This record gives sequence, C-alpha cells and structure tokens, in this order.
Amino acid sequence: MTRESNLGISAPRIDGYIKVTGRAKYITDLSRPGMLYGKILFSDRPHARIIHIDTSAAQSMPGVHAVITSTDTPNILYGLYLRDRLIFAKGKVRHIGEPIAAVAAESENIALQALQKIQVTYEDLPAVFDPFEALKPDAPIIHPDVESYQGIYPFIKYGNVCMDAEVNHGDIVKGFAEADVIVEGTYHTSAIHQSSIEPHACLAEFDHWHRLTVWTGTQQLTLCHQELASALGLPMTKVRVIPAWLGGGFGGKLKSLFEQICALLAIKSDRPVKIELTREEEFICTHARGPQTIYIKTGAKKDGTLVAREVRVVADMGGYSDHALGMATHAITFASGVYAIPNVRGHALAVYTNNPDWGCMRGYGGSEITFAGESQLDLLAEKLSIDPADLRLKNLYKDGDTFITTQKMDCVNIHDTMQAALQTSGYRKKKGQLAPNHGIGIANSILNTGFLSSSVVLRANPDGTVSLLTSVTDLGTGNLTALCQIVAEALGLPFDKIGVASQDSDSSPYDTGSIASRTVFDAGNAIILAAVDIIHQLIKLAALAFECDEEDVIYEEGAAFRKSQPEIVRSFAELVSDALFVSGGPLIGRGATLANPPHKHEIGRGFAERPAGTFTFATHVAEVYVDPETGSVCVTNYTAAHDVGKVINTDGIEGQVEGGVIQGLGWALYEELVYPQGKIINPNFVDYKIPTALDTPPIIDIFIEKPALRGPFGAKGMSEPPMVPPMAAISNAIFDACGAHVQTIPINLERLYNALHPGNKSD
Amino acid sequence: MEQNIILNINDHDYLVKVEPDEVLVDVLRFKVGLTGTKKGCGTGDCGACTVILDGRIVDSCLILAVSVEGKKIITIEGLEKKGKLHPIQQAFLDHGAVQCGYCTPGLILATKALLDVNPHPAEGEIRIGISGNLCRCTGYTKIIEAVKAAGELLDRGAQ
Repeated sequence: MTRESNLGISAPRIDGYIKVTGRAKYITDLSRPGMLYGKILFSDRPHARIIHIDTSAAQSMPGVHAVITSTDTPNILYGLYLRDRLIFAKGKVRHIGEPIAAVAAESENIALQALQKIQVTYEDLPAVFDPFEALKPDAPIIHPDVESYQGIYPFIKYGNVCMDAEVNHGDIVKGFAEADVIVEGTYHTSAIHQSSIEPHACLAEFDHWHRLTVWTGTQQLTLCHQELASALGLPMTKVRVIPAWLGGGFGGKLKSLFEQICALLAIKSDRPVKIELTREEEFICTHARGPQTIYIKTGAKKDGTLVAREVRVVADMGGYSDHALGMATHAITFASGVYAIPNVRGHALAVYTNNPDWGCMRGYGGSEITFAGESQLDLLAEKLSIDPADLRLKNLYKDGDTFITTQKMDCVNIHDTMQAALQTSGYRKKKGQLAPNHGIGIANSILNTGFLSSSVVLRANPDGTVSLLTSVTDLGTGNLTALCQIVAEALGLPFDKIGVASQDSDSSPYDTGSIASRTVFDAGNAIILAAVDIIHQLIKLAALAFECDEEDVIYEEGAAFRKSQPEIVRSFAELVSDALFVSGGPLIGRGATLANPPHKHEIGRGFAERPAGTFTFATHVAEVYVDPETGSVCVTNYTAAHDVGKVINTDGIEGQVEGGVIQGLGWALYEELVYPQGKIINPNFVDYKIPTALDTPPIIDIFIEKPALRGPFGAKGMSEPPMVPPMAAISNAIFDACGAHVQTIPINLERLYNALHPGNKSD
Repeated sequence: MEQNIILNINDHDYLVKVEPDEVLVDVLRFKVGLTGTKKGCGTGDCGACTVILDGRIVDSCLILAVSVEGKKIITIEGLEKKGKLHPIQQAFLDHGAVQCGYCTPGLILATKALLDVNPHPAEGEIRIGISGNLCRCTGYTKIIEAVKAAGELLDRGAQ
C-alpha cells in the first residue's frame, strides 16, 4: 500500500479552523482575574539628561498599584549583539520613545492619567540625527561608555560607532585596476515599520509555584525567556514564558521588548499586569527597520565580466544597537549579491544617533544591499550596452564557488530561477518592446537559511498519534503546519496523526526561534533526528515482539514487519503500547541541531559571521507603468521565481511569496517612517500606508525544486527571501520605463517626480 | 456612569453594563467575551475590528456601544452554524487565505457583507469591498481567490 506523501501538498493549517472562527487566542485576547493595565511613559526628548523623576503624584492616585522607574530595576545591561541597554532610561534618554517609567493601574484610563502626573525634569543635550553627522569628531557622544560594552563579538567601537567591520575577498585594488568600466553611487533605504496587525502585548503574573509567568507573542520563545531572566537578574527556572498565536511578526517581535517592564509591574503590584500597545506606540517604540546608506562601486570588463566591488554601509542604529547592527553585517556579507566577483570589500559602520531605537525586519540587510547592488547593475548594463539579464547571467555564482565569508557554496540554483523567471515573465519578448512609460525590470537575490540551534522532542502517544514539542512559534507563516508535515513524513504516518504540544518555556525545548527563514530548515532537521531516534526504538520493540533479530525488522509507512515474514506486522500504535506496557518505557524521540558552527578563523576585521546552513536564491521580474506627469507608479505584472529545495506546503509557500512581494512593493513605492529631529510624525495607518487590496498586481510564483543538501527532505527556508528582490526589480522596471534611476526607496511620487522633472529637486 | 443596555449579537440578546464612552469593540471583546473581533489600531484604519451592523460593515472601534442598542450585530462567532463552517470561512481555509489570522475575522465579515448584496462581484469590486481591511501577511492574492470561491460556494447553496 503506498501512502500519499505528506509533503508538497496544501496540508490544512493546524490553526486554520480556530482562526476562521475567531477561536484562536492571541495575547491581546487574554485577561486574568484582578488584572491591572500597564502603561509606559516614553521619552519625548531625543537626547537629554534626566535630572529628576517625580512619581509621587502618580503613586498616590487611587487605582494606581505600581509606578516603576530605573530605580526599581536591576542595573543590568542587556542586548543581543551588544549589551548597551537598560530596561528604563537611567541618567539620560537617547531617543524619543525610550521607556522612562511605567504604571500599573485598575484601568487603562487611570494608568494614562497617572503617566501624565509623572514629572520628568530634563536638561536637553545636543542631539544628532544623521549618522554621517554622528561620525564627525565634534558630534555629541551618545554612549560615552561604548568601548566597555560587552557583546557576542569583540566589535571595534569608538565615538558613536558601535561596530566598525570589514570583510575582504580577493584584492579590490587589483580588481578595479583591471576594470574597463566602473560605476559608483550611493543608495539609501528608508526606515519602515513591520506593521503586524496585532499590536505588541504581554501579560505577567506569578503562577501557582510563585514563579514569574509571562504570556507574550514572541518570535523567539527561548530567547525571550533567556533575555527576560537575564535583564531581571533571575535564574531561568524562576521565569516562565508562554506564547500564544502571533498576529504577525516580520522581525518586529524578536526575543523580548516590554516583557521586562510588564514583569516588574507584576512583581511590584503583586497582581497580574497586561500591557498592550496602541498603534501609535507600535510605530514609535517597537524597533522598526532601521535605515541604511550604501555606497557601492562595481567594476567590469568590456564583455560584462564583473571584476571588483566595494560596498560601504552606514547603518543608523538610533539610540541603541540591537538588530540594526546585525542588518549592517548582513549587508556586507551579501555585498557581491549572487555574482562570483573575484575581488570584493565590504565595510560597515553601525552608528548611534538620537533617532528611534531601530531594529530589523524580513530580509535583514539582504534587502538593503540587494536594492543597491541590483539597481546599480542596470546602470552598468546600460554603460556596457549589454542587456541587464545577460549581464547577470554571465556572472552568476555556481556550485563550488567561494562565498565572501570563505564558505564553499553548493546548491546554487540562481541559474534556474533566472531562466524560469525570464521565460515565464516573457522578459525577452517584452524588453524594449513595451508601450511608452511601461518598463520591465529584473533583480536577483541570495539569502542564508539554516542558522543556529533547534531541538525538538517527539512524544509517541498510545493512540498512534505523535506530539511535537517545540519552541518554534508560528507568526502566521504556517511553519508549525509544515513541521507537522515533516514529522508525519519522517515517521511514515498520516498528517492528521501529528499535533503540536502546548508551548511553554518550561517544557518546550531550546530553539533559536522563528527568525532568519530558519524553522523549516533547522527544526525540520531536528525533527528528522528525533524521528530516527524513535524508529530505532520501534525496531527494538518490534524485534522483541517478533522474537527475531533487529536486522530482520523493517519499519516503514507507520508499521514494522519481519523481512523474512512480511505478513507479521505491528503498527506504530501497537509498538507504542508495547513500549508502555511490555518493555522499554514510554517512547520519546529527541533531536538537536546546530546548523552552522562558527568559522575557525577571522573572515574580516572586527566582524564575525557564521557560514550559512545553505543559501537560497531568487529572481523577480516586475513590470510597471509610470505616469510621466505625476511620477505615480503602477506595478502591472510580477513574476517571482524561488529556489526552495522542496515545497513542504503549497498554499503556505505561495502565501510567503505573495505576502513578501507585496511588503516589498510597499517599501519600493511608499512605505517610509518620517522622523524629523528623531520624532516619528507618521505613526498611524493613514500617514504610514501599507498596501491594501487595491494595490496588488497579479503575481506568478515559480518554485525551483532541487533538493538542498542538509535540508530536511531537501527543503530550504522560504519566509524572508520574497522580500529581498522586489525593491530592486521595481526600481529597475521604473528605470526601464522612464530612465529615472532613483537611489532612495521608497521611490514615492515626490522622488520620482523630482527625478523626472530635474530643477524641482528637493530630496 | 455605567448603564445597562441590551445588545443583539449573532441573534442573541446580551445584557451588558457599559460606560457611555465605551466603544463596541471593547465591549464585544471584554464584556461579552467575544474576542474573535480583533483590535488593530483603534482609529478605524485597519479593519481588524470589522463587524456587520444591520447588514453593513463598520469598524467597531469607532462605534459607541450605547448607540447600537436595538441593532443587529454579527461578529465572526456568528457565522459557524451547528458545527458547520460558513462557506466563506471554508473558502478562506481552502484557498490558503489565512496566515496570522488577526485580520481574518474582519475580512470574512467584509466578504459576507459584500456577497450578501453582490453575490457575483467582479474582481475590482472584491478589491474595493475588502480595501478597508489591512492584511500584512498574504499580499491579498489568496484572499481575493477565497472571496471568488466563496461566491461560487454560496451560489451552489452550500448554506
């Protein structure tokens, strides 16, 4: 009997029914008896000394149960790349939106009134909002202690620079000397907001063991647990984190954010406390994607062979470093794009300013450098009189090439995504043949998948079902459904026999979390190891039951049988019962992976990047119409070809591509946080527009399925890659349509109008 | 001052005590306990709190609860009947139109209000019909497919 595969199908989402009926619970839906409402007082100054905080009037208000400031917190610096932050501002504030104090009260209204009664006396300090200004010797210093900050790597730090890093490959001096043509330019990517429709929320109380319990919607359950305990100075055994369904994440709900404040309010008031951000607070203080300025210079031979590239990235951190620093390292790691350029130098400066505390988002530095690099290639193609597609095809990476981090590359399928995208989009027929003001553009991209650690436990149940214990949370991508499919396939069981166990940092095993397009790859690999662990045990149990040698037992398709007497069969469920009642003990499978141990040697200066688990490639082709009068752009057609290794869930992977492309379209054309003097002035969906159903072109998804080495059943990760090429593909289509090469995204009406009407230029 | 009002939600009358300035979304979620209606912005911009009020969609974050006494309110919890999903819910499932799910209740209700008055909408009409509901995950492609499919399911008399 052949079983239908559990992979490559649209297996129904495990959370589908509860989500279409409104039954799915998110943190915002939770409440507890006696619960108080927490509100945070955010700094309204970009850079100021805190002379005094008077909370007495707030403390004495009826209905207020706790008011906390930095004096109520353990004085422990924390942070991911660099430990440069405290829970509340202490001594001074470094950006607008920095937490200063918090209140827990019986209603949100009382809490808000109490916030207004907190008197903060400031002394304004000179502030700096432009990272290039912040690099000047006379700039105000935002973190005087930067050199003493500890981090995951001994970064080179000085002045307002919290990371000065360089990576080298070949010899760029020699490379540019060999070039016949050189193009150079500076590109800028604006700050954008993840804009999950569910705002950040968390709820803290003590459990029946008097341990601190925090419910929160986090992309990284384990890291949230770890960072929360560390910031509070508590052992991880005294802190418990429970996630719920996440209403989107996109890099905006990493590790911890306000969980520490919520927890401290619960400790001080000895009551459950819930914090739920308003949409305005979401925009102002939740670590939006930071801006980058990228200088890029590329040299080529007359025939289009790329010989050298230099990239210099200046990344604005805002007041604290966090993931904006990681995005800067990624931007130089992917400096050469998908091209085998023999001589490359990438240099990144992560610079503190008094802008908001920036974070990261889907595409993590890869989107930024891809916009710069792929846009510039079209200028180069024009200079060389070579079609942009041909220039690209001539220089693609192939298996065996050495990546900039010295990693030997394999599973390089960029040639396939390019050919598929060119053919399906009709690029060759359309290029140069479209009606006036219509254009077509192409962009390639590379991203890593497979990153750090995952572990899972598979618990076999006596009814023949299997529970998956994992800390991987589902932001909406459907990764938990895909992981259940992988469990089913690995154990030869039907998909509906697999369930996900309740998630709780007490019992869910360690996982780096739902970031970096890693969960299907890494947790998927851990699942395969756990399934093998279970199968070994099943074979032992079957050999005992059959009274034969283990070598005489085969397990497949959910049952064990004797090789020499195939009619003697014990099903998975029977074997699990054998384990419970006859021998062996309850059946548990354990799998743990570390995708990418660090390089054994330095790969640059002041810099550390792990090798990728594997790389994933994509080619996008956009078609646009540009209104020459107004500069308005309509994307009319879109083709997205992705190198995915193996499709696990068809609906799921298509949804990732379509959603990622549209997020990219929003950034390409209109999404931008505006923050004069460090204050975000468009903190709502009227002034910060995200795409609606009226804004989306038809999208053709193409999946190249060439099984990836090291990927579970050959799969590569697929959540972030679709947001990497769209900005460049659309920018190149605009260039093709009207000859305007706009070097800042979003290419909004104003920027394109000014590019089309030089003389009116204001940007 | 709190006052007692009767709200007709999904054909049930609920007696609730509300403040005069309380908005419907908060009353539905935390006084009636129907948390399927979501709150995404509180300012009528995202559509997560969409409910159907006397046949028309409204942002329940902009409606005072005291003002809707005597009107018929439909929330996402009112669509599934006797354990059977409404065809729109089924179509959203079948067409992969659900990701994080936070916008889903509002989108399903916007779809219902559209199909109730226009059972065969053209794609442009679908796009307009759901344009007040922001979805950050799906890029809308599968949602639009689901709305089309729901229209066909309803035509075939699935419910």
